[in-house]
Amino acid sequence: MKKILLACSSGMSTSLLVTKMSEHAKSIGDEAEIWAVGQDRAKKEMENADVVLIGPQMSFLKKELQGEGEKYGVPVDVIDTVAYGMADGKKAYEQALNLMGEQ
Amino acid sequence: MMEKLKLENLTTEQINFQLISHSGNARSKIIQSLREYREGNTAESENLLAKAEEDLQGAHDIHFQMVQKEASGEKTDISLLLMHAEDHLMSTVTMKELVREMLEIFKKRDD
Repeated sequence: MKKILLACSSGMSTSLLVTKMSEHAKSIGDEAEIWAVGQDRAKKEMENADVVLIGPQMSFLKKELQGEGEKYGVPVDVIDTVAYGMADGKKAYEQALNLMGEQ
Repeated sequence: MMEKLKLENLTTEQINFQLISHSGNARSKIIQSLREYREGNTAESENLLAKAEEDLQGAHDIHFQMVQKEASGEKTDISLLLMHAEDHLMSTVTMKELVREMLEIFKKRDD
């Protein structure tokens, strides 16, 4: 089971991306738990994830979150701008796998 | 930097994501700009604010096309996601204007 946490300022835009990423994971037969939270909850929930992807509006928090992620061995990165801008669930899912070192 | 996109090549959802994505990139750079100034990196601070303006221009390009489309009689579907995207754009424009003014005040003070 791959656990992917998405975070953006309110958790709204990434919620939609979650749906698209989940659909893609299902279509290739992957078992994945993907969920979205707002920026305040990101730190609290990251220990339950294998990887954390954050929205572009949060990229200024990347270093801080990466520092927090190191405590749990959870990689953190900003969602690829093109993948995010096109609401491309497949691309975002592949980015998550890459960060987990699974691809 | 993302290439200029034509509205007709995008789904409604992608249009909203484009607005959020460009505004979001700008927002991060605006905050980073203030932080750089705090560290004494004035040139980098100004550079980031200029880059944020380019990102905002990207959002404005999309938004302008949307307004044009509506003005020509073609209705846009109003969704919560679109309202959220508008929120992002509007708050980021406000932040940018304020931060620009703040940096001017700081520069004058610190000269």
